[in-house]
Amino acid sequence: MWLGLLLSVFGMAVGVFIGLNLPLVLPQAYAKFLSVAALAALDSVFGGIRAAMEDHFDNSIFLSGFFSNALLAAGLAYTGERLGIDLYLAAVVAFGVRLFQNLAIIRRHILKKSYHKKENSL
Amino acid sequence: MNKSIYVSIIIVSLLLGLMISFQFRTNSSPTEVVPPERYQELTIEKKRVETDILNLEEEVADLSAKIEEARKGRTETADVLESELNKIKIYAGLTPLVGPGVELVLENPPESPGGSGFYNIRDEDLLKVINDLHGAGAEAISINEQRILATSEVRQAGNHININLTKLSPPYRINAIGNPGTLKSSLEIKGGLAEYLAASGTTVNIQQSDSIRVPAYSGSLRFDYAKQVQRG
Repeated sequence: MWLGLLLSVFGMAVGVFIGLNLPLVLPQAYAKFLSVAALAALDSVFGGIRAAMEDHFDNSIFLSGFFSNALLAAGLAYTGERLGIDLYLAAVVAFGVRLFQNLAIIRRHILKKSYHKKENSL
Repeated sequence: MNKSIYVSIIIVSLLLGLMISFQFRTNSSPTEVVPPERYQELTIEKKRVETDILNLEEEVADLSAKIEEARKGRTETADVLESELNKIKIYAGLTPLVGPGVELVLENPPESPGGSGFYNIRDEDLLKVINDLHGAGAEAISINEQRILATSEVRQAGNHININLTKLSPPYRINAIGNPGTLKSSLEIKGGLAEYLAASGTTVNIQQSDSIRVPAYSGSLRFDYAKQVQRG
């Protein structure tokens, strides 16, 4: 569990470093798609953390969810753009709501755990 | 199983970090992304401004050269005007002059034992002298430090003679600048003024000199009635 956290922090740091130093710049037109994809990815990561806390983490579900959510969100935004509808808003709302739900559940798990620890220590 | 979890965690977090940082960069530095058309536009504008600057610099150099020229011209004009003014002042008798000429001293005859002198120098005598000297080419004349101008009067006033509204009394010292020889000979010609005056008992003393001083007119110049005729 702690090793996973360490690895994720490490991976994130490397990703940020690479992202900031890459000489390639994304055109402004695609920034919207990437932002929705990033939101979806963030949601699946929190979902993964929640699953891990509930002890039913499945690697394949996590990975497939991550990629499919990101691609779906980006694709949705793209289609919306093509059709003249702000479909990316749907992705933003859906993933935003799920993100907050996941966060709330994670918070409760953490609180419960610390509670148990306190009771055990007493 | 465990290993693949860590691998997937690393991949996912790496991708997430990459996405977030990418997004952060595109959003935080929108100026970094310049469309090519805008870039071209700006390049053209820059070139135009540069040529403008060059043209303006040339213009500045040109104009400053012109200013320099104009300034030079102005000082030249001022010099010309000043020399003209000096010339006119000399003509008008407003500057003291020095040069070769003659000094003429006229003295009333000594009083005769039988009363007052029977002959005094009169204004006509002085006028004749002045006329003679002018005729001989005198350029400047003064009598007892009174400059003879075009407007100067020579007038008898009792025992005195008024010149430039100043009372003069004998002896009369007449300074004239001109060719000393011509002036002297025109006065001393046979049957001339010197002889005439001497015959009436006046003491006439004519001396040539290389540096005769003629003072400037010291009175005021007034034109109360005369106005300049407007030309054009």
